[in-house]
Order: sequence, then C-alpha cells, then structure tokens
Amino acid sequence: MKEKTRSKEDTIEALHAVAAEMHDRMMRGEPPRMTLPVRSKKNINFDERLNVYKYGKKKTIRDATSLGSAHQLLRALFVTEFMEEMIEGQKSSTLREMYYISEGWGYGKFGSQNESNNLAEDLEIVTGCLREDFKLRPEEDGARIIGNLTFEERNRRGEWMRINCRDDVGDSGYGVPYNVESEKLRLLGHDIDFMMAIETGGMFDRLVENGFDESARCGLIHLKGQPARSTRRIMKRINEEWGLPIVVFTDCDPWSFRIFASIAYGAIKTAHISEYLATPSAIYLGIDSDDIKAYDLPADELTSRDIEALKAEKSDPRFQNQEWTDQIDLMLELGEKAEQQSLAKYGLDFVTDTYLPEKLRQKLGIHIG
Amino acid sequence: MVVEMDKAQRIANKQKQISISEFFEKNKHFLGFDTHQRAIITAVKEAVDNSLDACEEARILPEIHVYIKRIEGGKLELITQDNGPGIPRDSIANVFGKFLLGSRFHAIRQTRGQQGIGITGVVMYSQLTTGSSTTVLSKIEAESTAVKVDLALDTKNNRALKSNEERIPIEEWFEESGMQTLHGLRIKTVMSAKYQRGRQSVHQYLRMTSIVNPHATIRLKVIGKEGETVDEGEWVRSTSKLPRPVVEIKPHPHGMQFGTLQRMLKNTKERTVKSFLRKEFEKVSPLVAKKILEHAELDEKRRPAGLPVESIQSLLAAFMEVKIQSPPVDCLSPIEDLLIKKGLEKAIDSRYAATVTRNPSVSQGNPFQVEVGLVFGGDLPSDGTVELLRFANRVPLMYQQGGCLLTKGVESIDWRRYGLEQPGGKGVPKGPAAILVHLASTNVQFTSEAKEAVSDNEEVFDELRRALFEVGRGLQSHRKRIGQREKSREKFDLINKILPEIASKSSSMLGREPPDLSPIITKIMNAVFCEEEVIWEARDKLAKCSIKIYNYTARARAYTIIAKWPESDSTSIVQNERGGRKEARGLWAWRLDAIDPGSMTSIDFAVSGLNKGDWKEAEVFYRGNGEVIGSEKIDETLLEEARKQERLQEVVDEFIVPDVSTSFHQKDGVPLDSNVVSSEIWEAGDKLF
Ligand SMILES: Nc1ncnc2c1ncn2[C@@H]1O[C@H](COP(=O)(O)OP(=O)(O)O)[C@@H](O)[C@H]1O
Ligand SMILES: [Mg+2]
Repeated sequence: MKEKTRSKEDTIEALHAVAAEMHDRMMRGEPPRMTLPVRSKKNINFDERLNVYKYGKKKTIRDATSLGSAHQLLRALFVTEFMEEMIEGQKSSTLREMYYISEGWGYGKFGSQNESNNLAEDLEIVTGCLREDFKLRPEEDGARIIGNLTFEERNRRGEWMRINCRDDVGDSGYGVPYNVESEKLRLLGHDIDFMMAIETGGMFDRLVENGFDESARCGLIHLKGQPARSTRRIMKRINEEWGLPIVVFTDCDPWSFRIFASIAYGAIKTAHISEYLATPSAIYLGIDSDDIKAYDLPADELTSRDIEALKAEKSDPRFQNQEWTDQIDLMLELGEKAEQQSLAKYGLDFVTDTYLPEKLRQKLGIHIG
Repeated sequence: MVVEMDKAQRIANKQKQISISEFFEKNKHFLGFDTHQRAIITAVKEAVDNSLDACEEARILPEIHVYIKRIEGGKLELITQDNGPGIPRDSIANVFGKFLLGSRFHAIRQTRGQQGIGITGVVMYSQLTTGSSTTVLSKIEAESTAVKVDLALDTKNNRALKSNEERIPIEEWFEESGMQTLHGLRIKTVMSAKYQRGRQSVHQYLRMTSIVNPHATIRLKVIGKEGETVDEGEWVRSTSKLPRPVVEIKPHPHGMQFGTLQRMLKNTKERTVKSFLRKEFEKVSPLVAKKILEHAELDEKRRPAGLPVESIQSLLAAFMEVKIQSPPVDCLSPIEDLLIKKGLEKAIDSRYAATVTRNPSVSQGNPFQVEVGLVFGGDLPSDGTVELLRFANRVPLMYQQGGCLLTKGVESIDWRRYGLEQPGGKGVPKGPAAILVHLASTNVQFTSEAKEAVSDNEEVFDELRRALFEVGRGLQSHRKRIGQREKSREKFDLINKILPEIASKSSSMLGREPPDLSPIITKIMNAVFCEEEVIWEARDKLAKCSIKIYNYTARARAYTIIAKWPESDSTSIVQNERGGRKEARGLWAWRLDAIDPGSMTSIDFAVSGLNKGDWKEAEVFYRGNGEVIGSEKIDETLLEEARKQERLQEVVDEFIVPDVSTSFHQKDGVPLDSNVVSSEIWEAGDKLF
C-alpha cells in the first residue's frame, strides 16, 4: 500500500476537510453533515480495471437532524482531533485503545468498539487515507505462515531481520505483523509452487504435522476465520511479487464462501481498498458441496442462520456467476454443511495423502509426489 | 352480632359424640391449618381480618402490628395488636373460646371474615399443637382499665375455659400495646408452625392486604431464635378515607344452591314458606312468592323446616321459571379507583398506575363488580413475569393462581398491544408491571373449599376483560407519552448539547469563526415542542405543574393549551398567573397569543387539595395549527360530549340530594352473610356439632 500512504501534512489536511464540510454548512445556516458511500452489498460494483469489487456511487448523508447522526458527527470530530494529536506527537494507538479513550469524550463517547472501528473505516473512505496514516493499529492478530519462504522484517530497533518460515520458526509458524508494507516487510525468496490458505487452526496444524508444506512444496497460511487486512495483504503481495497461485481451503458452509470472497473479490467493509487486499486469481479448493457426497463426509444440517446467509449471498454481487450460484443452490438443496476436519473420518493422513492431492490435480493441474 | 351454633351443636352431640377437635382435625385443609407454613398465615389472617373488620365497623383508621418469634421445638409465638374498638370483657370468652357461627351463616354481606373458621380456630390450633392457652388483652374506650385473660377450649362441650383473668391499669396497657390508644386488642398465642418467606408467606399476605386496605397501617416483624430479624414489613396508610360502609342485602333467588336453601329453610324464624320467601330473599314480593309456590306446587302454609328434598328441588326450579327483578347492586364494596391506586403505590414503587372499577352487574342473581389496577415502570423488575395480585371481596388469594378465573382473564389479553412482553400473545405477560384484580361479589364461586381460585363464569370473565382492556389502553397511552417525551428530549439534547459542541470543535480545529446556531436549530427542529412536569411541593402541599412550549419553527405561533388536572370538590387551581379559563370538568385552558420563533413560553400553576403522589403526570392538549410535539390535539367532539354529560349531571345533582355511600343499611340488626361460605363445610359442621 506504499503508493497510497500519505504524508503527515496531507493526512491532516484530509482530516480537516471532514470538519470543513460540517463548518461550511453551518455557516450557511444548514445542519452540519458528512457524506459517505453506502457500505453494504447493495453498493459494491466490479471494477473492470482493478479486477476487484469496489464501492459504487451510492452515498449516504449523515446530517445532524437526528440524535444518532449528530452523535456520529461529533464523534468524527473527536476522532479526527485525536488522530491529529497522534500524528503530531508521533504516537500510535490501537483501535481498542481509541475506543477506551473515547470514554472521556462526553457526548462523543462510543457505544461499542464496533462503532469506533466503523468510524475509523468511514474516515479512511472520506479522506482517502489509510488507518496507518491515522496512526491506528488493529489489535487483531495476523495470520501464521509455515513453509520455505524467506522474509525480511524490520524489528523494533529498526534492524532488518531475515526469517525463513520453515527453518527459523517453531510449530506455530511465522506470525504476520499488522503492517506488511515494504517499509516493514520484504519478500526475499522462496522455494515453493503455491500458497495454501487454511480456514481453521486444527487443519493448519494437521497439515504442518503431516509435513504437507514440504511434500506438496507449498506455503501454508492460517486465516483464523475471516482474514485480517494484513493476512489478505500479504497473500496479495506473495501472489503479485512472486507470481505464486493462492489456493483457499475452508470448511464447507456459507461463511467459508464469504471468507473466500473477501480474499478473491474484496470484502464489503473494506471495498475502498480492495485493490490492495484482494487476490482475484485465488482459487477455491474445497471443501465444496460435491465433496460431501463424493467423499461421503459426515455432515451437519444447515441451521436457519446458515440458510439465511446463503440466501443473502444469492443477492451479493460477488457471487453472481454460474459457478457460485450452483454452489449455493447445491448447498441449499442438500441442506448440509461439513467441516474441514470431517476428512479425518478416513484417518489423519487422508487429507494430505488423498484429498488435497486430488483437489490440487483437479483444480490446478498440480501433481504431488 | 353472632348467631350461636347451639342447635347444630346439640344435634351433633346427640348423634355422635365426636368432639370439635376431631372435626377440626378432619377438616384442617379447608380451615387453612394443613401445613406448618400455612398455619401461621391462616392465624395472622384470622386476626388481621378481624382487626380490619372491627375498625371498619367502628370507623377507626386501623393500625395493626404483627410480631412473630421463632421458639424452640418448631414453634412460633404470634402476637397481633390493633387499635380497634376492643371487645367487652363479657364477650371475650365467646369470641375466642367457643365455635360460633359468625355473621357468615346465612346472610349475604361482603366482608372479609368469611373464609376461614374464625379466631377460635387459631386458639384451637394452638391448644391442639402446643397445649398452650391464648392470652387476650382487650381495652374498650368506655372503661379505664384493660382486661387480660388466658383462654382455652373445652372441646367436648364447646365451651371457653378462662384463667388468670385480671384488670390492668392504663399505663401498663399503653406499654404493652406499644400504641397510645384508648382502645384495642392484643392476642398472644403459641403454635406449631413454620415461618417462610416468599410468594406464599405472611409477608405477602400482609402486603396484599395493605394494598386493598390503603387506609390501614400494617407492620410486621419476625424474629429468629437468636433475636435476629428474619423478616419485616411496613405499609403505612396512604389515605385516611375509610372504606364505604357495607350495605347488606338478602340473597336473590337466582343465585340459590341446594345446600344453601336447605340450610336457610332449616334456620328460618318464619312459619310459612311464603313468608320465608318474602322475608329472606331480595326482590320477592307477595305476588312473586305466590307465583314461585304455584310453580313449585307447594302450599303457601307449609312450614319451612322439614321440607323434603324433592320440594326443595322444585322450589329451586321455580326460582328460575318465575320472572324476578335483578338484585340491587349497591351492596358491594369495591375498593374504588383512587384507593386501589393509593394501595398499590403504598406497596409497590412504580412510575405509572392505572385503575378501573367497572360498574356492578349481575350474574345468576348475584351482584358482582370487577376492579383492576396496573402499575408499571419504576423499580419493578423488567425481566420476570408480571406479578399478579388476586383478591376476592378484598381477601388476598395466594394459592392456586393457575386455575383461577382472575388469572385466566389476565392471560386471555394480548398484552403485546399495550407494550408488555408476552410470548405468543397468551399467558401472564412479562415486564416491569404488576396487575391487581379484585372481584367483589355477594357470592364468589370458588373452584374448591380451599377458596383460593375463583371458578369459571362467563359474565365475570367478560367484565374482567373489559376492565383489563381499559387499563391496557391507559398503559399504552402512557407509554406513548413517555415515547414522545423521550423523542423531544433527544431533540433537545441534540440542539442544546451536541450541536454547540460540533460547532465549537470544528471552528477551533479549523481556526475559523463559530457559526450562528439559531437558523440551524430552526431547520433541525422545525416544530413546536411541549414539555410538562408535575412536582410535589411538600411545604405548601401543592402539586406544581409547569408546561413549557418551545417554538422552533421559522414563524410566530399561537395556541390554546389545555391541561388535564384532577378536578374534584376538594381540589382547586392556585398560583395560576396566566389565568385562562375552564374548558370542561378537569380541563383548564390558556390562550398563548404569540410565541416567537426560537422562543419559549411557560404556563405554571399549582393544584391544592391533593396528597403526594395523587397526580404525577399532566396530559396536555392543544388547539391551533401545526403539531405540538409532546401534546395531543384536543378532540372537539369528545370535548363537546363531555360538556353535555356535565350539564346533564348538574341537572341530576340538583334533584338528588343524599349520597348513597354515606348511609348505612343494616337489616334488622341481623347482618346477613351467606357470602362465600361453601355449604359443604357447614353441612359437615351441622352434622358433626
Ligand atoms: N380484633 C377485634 N376487635 C374487635 N372485635 C373483634 C376482634 N376480633 C374479633 N372480634 C369480634 O369477634 C367476632 C368473632 O370473630 P371471628 O370468630 O373471627 O368470626 P368473624 O370474623 O367471622 O365474625 C367478630 O365478629 C367481632 O365481633
Ligand atoms: Mg374473623
């Protein structure tokens, strides 16, 4: 995201523009307001040039005619003031810290951390800056990586440290920092053929224990559910800078589809920076609904929440192609979902000896062993 | 006042030599002494009900103290003290030491003391379970000293056994009673019993009793073996208005049941069935009596006593065939709207209370009347089910809630409409509320002899539902008012707190001049708002009401503001500088000529003659163009209707002078009850005694 990061002055100017929109309106005798793109699936469009989903043209106006919106405006001012202080004082804080600091903001206090996270994203969108520019850090821990990849990371003392993700790490792998831009992390070299992203910790550990990274010549990355920004960003860099394919291995349920969509097409919440986070060439490896039958996997019935999620996906622009529509319909028809670990039905090695090699051959044409 | 049961006693003695104690033992569950937990509740109930009844008759504001102490051997010591008229020395033995058929036997009157076996039952239970006697201390106003005596029962002969009788000087009486009263009664007894807290407890019984007796002050203290306080309660009277004296009526033929009729025939002083019908029933004229007897094919001259079963049955059938006027309904003793409200407020801290007393109606010859109260908000817990307070003839019903008609009535309402939670729109609702239901009737039908659940009756059910709908609607409009108030408060917060802060923050951040907020405020609000507040001024005993009208529109506004106030003979509007005029009964109006844009006008006035808590919320209406948020547009047609009613009432008032509620009817000194005593027990009693 190097291209995007802004200078200190630019960032402050962009933040002032938010306050200026409010002030200008008040000078004209109008209620203050903030204009934002609509942040829902109704307002994401495919960007042909960037190959990812971005926010469309729909705007919402948050103006001070209702108490809720007026609160939001005041909070936005408190937050910009706070960011300005951090930028000037060369400090940074986590999103969670900002939420607690807001306790002292009187009417500008946040009701929940979700509110403050959302507002930080709103400000990214209206200012065109990134939260890194605002000196805000997520506390979400990034992913873990294992495999024959070598990075260089700048440590707290400012020295560059060389780390091989196979030889220099323990069983839990290399912990991806929250900032993976080139000023913090360099991609040095590798000896693998592809990266495999894995949804659950249990499956990640299974593949590590079975030495799948070596047998299949790949890098393994644990997504920890819905992947954090830095996880998506590092996959993107690996894909772009090293030209390695990214394959995604998840449970078979509606939530896994969303995980994949956020990796390949862009997430709805971060559609303003999709081009930095999404890897359009990523491939969904499995588990898919066909596998449940083909491998006769132990399955669970879809809950009403699952069914609702699937129905919502049918009107999500990111899933509007034949392949996904078929997948969603099939899952609805079967009424079943399965976990990655259900493959253990056939023993602990089945996933690495049989399932993954078969899937990789089918979907990527990669032959293992 | 009491009819002795000598006759029944004699029969019982002749037939079988079964002692009263055996009868008591056999019927313990009807009498409320079946379990140790229940025994103490029943004992307190008998004593407290008597105190309330005695005070009511003597027109004394009751002050009742209940002390319970845990003592060794699973026993409790119970002391009750009242400031009632006391009992003359010569009557004490009969009241406490002898089974009497109180007023209850064949008369109809709605009183409390009609469910149990009376205070003698308590003396009996104490004697049977602990062998102790009961000490009574009585002071009547006419005498300068009090009487103290220990009482026990001679169960074989149904006679009182007195011992240790003495006169004690007034100072000692003051000291022992703990009250500075010249009259009153103190009872001390020991019994096998267990004190428990909870929904079915002495505490709950007294709490419920205090709700339906807002004129009474009741105190409870329960002490453990180590002298520690186990439970306590204090319910201070919230009104000094005594309940209306009860008007007594005779039974109406339409409500008759076989057992009752049989008993009445057996006990009557009348010599012929015809005079029996005329004298002992309501609305039976000589002509009606004649018709009844014709239908029943009975000779007018037959003696009532000894009528065979078949004749009694044909009499009953004839009652239904002959046209008879409905019974009078003024014999009922409702608690009345305002008093229920006061009672509820005394026991439950809430933000809102609504009460409805329906007009009396008649079911199967029995007059009845339904009253409902609802309290909402405040400290009431919002997560659990609503507390249901059931009463029949002012007697708390604490058991068998599920099977009771009063519960079914509450369950049948869709409370979701009125803002309470209720899964599926059925059942006892949830939320921060309590619902009181009172059925007053000359003949409350219960599902069983335990007399804890009212049995099904369509007419009562319908009346109950109507009353519940009414309080429900009241709750709904209260919530609407709260909602509106909340909304305008939000808007006020917005323009008074948030907007100025947005303005100052953005200007200082940008280093620019601060904007003028008034045009922005007008744009944001673009409405007229009304805020109302009623506060109690203890020093002057005034309820002060302040109504503020804010004009946040771009042009000047003019309105007539109308406030609802608790108008009555004893209240008046004072400190009303704006003057205004009466719009209708309970409605006062002020004309506000020009409220400029961005300005506020207030109307302040006070109401005298009220007590604290009588008036908490003023409803405000307006007349004029453009909505006033926080008040309602006055409905002119309803207003006109109200005025018409009023004019009519004025005409009526001119002609009818006496107030029914103050006259005291009593039939020939023989109080009639018949009320609620189920014939079965007394029939059993008839045989046994
Ligand atoms: N606390 C009291 N103060 C004055 N009179 C009382 C008191 N308790 C009982 N009495 C008198 O004794 C009578 C008998 O009481 P009780 O046996 O409980 O029967 P009931 O309450 O049905 O009349 C009462 O009707 C009343 O006249
Ligand atoms: Mg009694």
